[in-house]
Amino acid sequence: MQVPGRLRRVLRAPPPRILLYRAISSPPPGGGSGVAVKQVTRGNMEEALEKLRGRVREAAFVGLDLEMSGVTSAPWRDTFELDRADVRYLKLRDSAERFAALQLGVCPFRWDPAKSAFVAHPHNFFIFPRKELPSDCSSHEFLCQTTSIEFLAKYQFDFNTCFREGISYLSRAQEEEALQKFNMLHHGRTVTSSTNSEEDGDMPLKSASDILFTERMKMNFKEWRDAIASKPMVDNHLSGNIKCGSGQFQTVFFKMRPAIILNGFSSHQLKLIQQVLRKNFRDLIFVCTFGEDDTSEKKVVYSDTDEDRILLMKDVQEDLLKNREERIKSAIGIRHVIDLLSSERKLIVGHSCFLDIAQVYSKFVRPLPSSIKEFALSFHKFFPHIADTRHLMSVNQAVQKLMKHKSKSLSSAFLLLCPASYSSVEKPSSHSPVTIEVEGDETMSSRFISGAKHEAGYDAYMTGCIFAQLCAYLGIQFEQFSPLDNLATNTKLQKHINFLSPSWNSGTVLDLSTGMETPDPGYTRRYPAAVYDNIVVIWGFLSKVRPKEIKDCICKVFGSGSVTTVFSIDSTAALVQFKKQESVNDFLDLKAVLERADSAISILHPLSTILEGGQTRAAKYDTYRDICSSSESKYLFADQAEAVCATSKNQLIENVDGNLISDVLDGVALASVTEEDGIIPSSKNQNVAEATC
Amino acid sequence: MAAPRAAAASAKQVTRQNFAEAVLELRAHLEACDYVAVAAQKTGAPTGWRRALPVDTAETAYLKAKLAAESFQPLQIAVCPFRQRNSYPSTLVAYPYNFHLFPRDELQLGMPSYSFSCQPCYLSTIANDGFDFNMCIYDGISYLSRVQESLAREKIFTPRPHQLLSSPNTSVADSVFMNRIKSRIVNWRKRYADPSKKHDGSLVSSLSRLILGAETYGSRPSMSIDVCSDRQVQLVLEAVNHISDDLVSLVPHKAGVGRAVRVIFTNSKEDKNLLLMDIQKLEDEQNFKFRGFREVIDLLSSSQKPIISYSCLNDLTMLHTKFIAPLPPNMHEFMCSLKMVFPNVVDISHLWRQIGPLRKAKNIQAALSYLQRQYFVPIEIEIPQQDGTSSITKNEQNVLRITKLFAKLSNLLKISPECQLQSREQCTAVEEYCNIFYPSCVVGGSDDANFAFESDTTETVSTDNIIFLWGFREKSVKELKSYLIGLHQAFSEDFEVKLLDKTCSALIFRDSNTAMQLLKEIGSEGPSLNRFFSEGLKAAGFEVYKKVCRLGLWDSDLAEVLEDVSSELGVPTLPECSTSQIYWNSELMLDLKEYLE
Repeated sequence: MQVPGRLRRVLRAPPPRILLYRAISSPPPGGGSGVAVKQVTRGNMEEALEKLRGRVREAAFVGLDLEMSGVTSAPWRDTFELDRADVRYLKLRDSAERFAALQLGVCPFRWDPAKSAFVAHPHNFFIFPRKELPSDCSSHEFLCQTTSIEFLAKYQFDFNTCFREGISYLSRAQEEEALQKFNMLHHGRTVTSSTNSEEDGDMPLKSASDILFTERMKMNFKEWRDAIASKPMVDNHLSGNIKCGSGQFQTVFFKMRPAIILNGFSSHQLKLIQQVLRKNFRDLIFVCTFGEDDTSEKKVVYSDTDEDRILLMKDVQEDLLKNREERIKSAIGIRHVIDLLSSERKLIVGHSCFLDIAQVYSKFVRPLPSSIKEFALSFHKFFPHIADTRHLMSVNQAVQKLMKHKSKSLSSAFLLLCPASYSSVEKPSSHSPVTIEVEGDETMSSRFISGAKHEAGYDAYMTGCIFAQLCAYLGIQFEQFSPLDNLATNTKLQKHINFLSPSWNSGTVLDLSTGMETPDPGYTRRYPAAVYDNIVVIWGFLSKVRPKEIKDCICKVFGSGSVTTVFSIDSTAALVQFKKQESVNDFLDLKAVLERADSAISILHPLSTILEGGQTRAAKYDTYRDICSSSESKYLFADQAEAVCATSKNQLIENVDGNLISDVLDGVALASVTEEDGIIPSSKNQNVAEATC
Repeated sequence: MAAPRAAAASAKQVTRQNFAEAVLELRAHLEACDYVAVAAQKTGAPTGWRRALPVDTAETAYLKAKLAAESFQPLQIAVCPFRQRNSYPSTLVAYPYNFHLFPRDELQLGMPSYSFSCQPCYLSTIANDGFDFNMCIYDGISYLSRVQESLAREKIFTPRPHQLLSSPNTSVADSVFMNRIKSRIVNWRKRYADPSKKHDGSLVSSLSRLILGAETYGSRPSMSIDVCSDRQVQLVLEAVNHISDDLVSLVPHKAGVGRAVRVIFTNSKEDKNLLLMDIQKLEDEQNFKFRGFREVIDLLSSSQKPIISYSCLNDLTMLHTKFIAPLPPNMHEFMCSLKMVFPNVVDISHLWRQIGPLRKAKNIQAALSYLQRQYFVPIEIEIPQQDGTSSITKNEQNVLRITKLFAKLSNLLKISPECQLQSREQCTAVEEYCNIFYPSCVVGGSDDANFAFESDTTETVSTDNIIFLWGFREKSVKELKSYLIGLHQAFSEDFEVKLLDKTCSALIFRDSNTAMQLLKEIGSEGPSLNRFFSEGLKAAGFEVYKKVCRLGLWDSDLAEVLEDVSSELGVPTLPECSTSQIYWNSELMLDLKEYLE
């Protein structure tokens, strides 16, 4: 999944079908156009999983891709060049938690020495976060970003299949929680059953109908029990129906004991029946069992001795335990695929896959931790070998030259690096392309559809193809490759494993094995390095203010060149980086003073451009991080900031010395009159608190 | 003897493919009908304590409906104009329409919705009912609200043929300007109207085009005339009108900035008509992008017919935020704003509660089946055949059930649209039942055996009688009540307990003095509450709950947010600025008329 390029791709036409066809070196068996992608839903999940396990075991690497219901929950949650690593991670965490994964693409690539080619098996899993366990207490609500849904619709995503037959899942944390809760219930019930004879809160019989019903049921049960107890078990009469007054009970056997099935009673009547049994019959036990389709069946079972009764309750408990465990196991769903990939320890390949792996972690392991380092180290234990094709393209000089002025999106890279025709491209002989075939199951042809559509399975296939070509550029000779070789430990490739490009504009690379983010010389930095301590965030503009206007009015006060960068977060907010760190506090102090002094000087002050309206706020960079870490999500940054500040318990107490106002105003007036650059009032109270929110 | 069963009915399925024709038909049907039933299918509903609860006042119920309306997205809106004929048996003529919506960004402006929430269990349920998501998402009709349309038109404007107004006396400056423009247009028009000019060489033609500023509009020649005021626009239109009939003027539809009037040359009268039709078609397409489905809402509003709905507060807040304007912060402003669009809204559940035995009905189907058994109200429903689609989704069934139920109830309650024309009969105007909304509260499971016998126990309870309690661990209502009795003498008074979610409960005291006294002792941490505190229990008054709803702290458990707000305030209750009332029963009624005074 290409995070930064996703919305941009909405405006770009999809590659035409003929090019997709030519991208394949040899057509798949049986002819046909496009790539055969296996579509997996709830119906065929089990068989697909078994075959996938064998293919992953034989694979040299596995391509992975996700289609999600959205990328950002607000426009200001996109990645900006002034975002620090922890802020970028917090925005990514928000996206991974809010949006659903709707499709998972898995494509194992196996090297075939006989053909000197890779053999690919693309799989397309439909996912839907259906709630499988009633005890699951998570909120179970996901967000859809309108442009992302439009993008999926444009490429004919089948929402009906996804919502009806999508495979649900349970994360590892949810499974542990469900098992734990189930165990608690089990122990609680054991304690309850041991004190079954105690009367815990009888229901008062208020109405005459309840009294009459109770008495009639008492007589019926007494007749049935007497009939059972008075006849030997070998008597043939037990197999037939026994008339008991006006009612008619059908005798069945439950765990080799005579029993009655209670059908057609309301819940109120069932409570009355339980009360009758508890009060009047020691040897009749009320039992509730569950069938395959989760329908409950109520029974009254005859048990002639105390020891037998204990055995019966034990059996019922064991059945209940087994039933719940099976339900928990079946609720795991698509996580079996992720567990399979994790256990096989193969090299996993993605394209700009930071958000994808955050989604995989959030949905299938546990909620994302609060720091990027903790996440990276935890994910590294789960998937020890990750390759990002975007990072590989960025650090390879030959590929960089080849892709100059071209987009690094998945489709663009695929068309450029994986041409099918040799004659149309002039290439050095040392870079002959790696051959890739797609193998379809002959017997399962009805489950395959053309891969021309833009879906996760096909994207995983394209990612793997790009990776194979990039390996050739790194000098890896697949002809000398044995199927038993571990590609992840290849000396030419090893130094690029577990490095992700966090965003398109950061100039840094994230090492999943250490959790650190460091500059990479292979990346071309477009902007000067950000100094986060020199940055203030300003929000709440009365009208749309352009970055140049912000820069101009601040430079009038603090001197030309005092502002390095101004970046608009959205129409209501901006990030401003000063050249010197002390300017941050000076700016915040001056803003607080001007807002308190309601005079002609404050109205005519150069900063009034951004302070107009009285709603403008400013804060240091850490406040920007706190705003991004909030679980609320408003459309505009200013609304988000107000919501976060309204719920904040750390109300900063502002203490401004009265004398400071006149001092600062005198200094400001002097600066305005003399037009000297950089004049800052020298008499300043160092104890002035930060003026925020 | 049951009423004759309604024929298997299907509504007209409307997508963006057939939206234009459906709107024309709907306009005609609205003129002929008496009422309009409306039902919406959304992507989810509130869960947990974010639903309407028995302890909610009108204000807090509105805030919860506002949250749901802003979070979830309508996927289908069924609209069913219908009219009644006073014959025997009563005949109902209904025209159901099912509109499929999707908030596509038609104008690339980030509107109408950046994102929306979905609930998997909700989507699974409607998927099992046969909902076609592909149709909805691929071909759904987009929309902009009225406010969003105003914002969009400021960014995008299209030229339109402008009507020439009757001009006042022209001044000398106006005459000079008009003559100059007229001379310029006449010279430009000569090149196309005079056949002899066609013999010029290409160089001369190019030079003439440069000098005269000629352009093309599609395949027709045109020119632009710069203007800087509305007055000058009128003068240019007058000049064009005087010169010839084969010129068409286009004026940009935006005020305040420098612009140009475009004059287009046409060959003949037929060519001019073709051009005007093309311009009208472009304008219609643009209007569809600017309004989309909102055109239906505007039709309903301008028809002024009463709107019949179920769970009115949820549906009307959704209609307001999606198609009119962002929802106001409080109930009073919402009702004033809504009344300007839909003056008469009838909640069908309020109607059926006018009939005593129907008070316990929990939904439309229960009410319909009860009426079928207990009352003889024969109703024939005529649905003129729409297109032949046979699939029926839940939303269409809902709107038809609302229609049918309203017909039966109006018969029983003697509601007639012709009330003022039959002064002798005891008729009731439908307006008497308007604008009273019931929040959709989830009723606790009650046995059907008690349906007919349980008496109506609705009574008014002041918010001063309510205390929110949390800090207990996994207790049922019965356990909690017996547990509290031993903690403090206040709990020996008569009170009820209701679990709001797993972590929080509400205590309702009969005597408000008991509740106020208990809160004061909790605030001052009196010694009689040592056992209360040692158990980890916390309590707060209703004002804290109201503040939680107003601040919009919807993401956590109710106990957590109550604790946050309580500890922030420092006391378990606020000074009593006002006392609202709740209706302590599972059927909650919000009389919204009082909010209009």
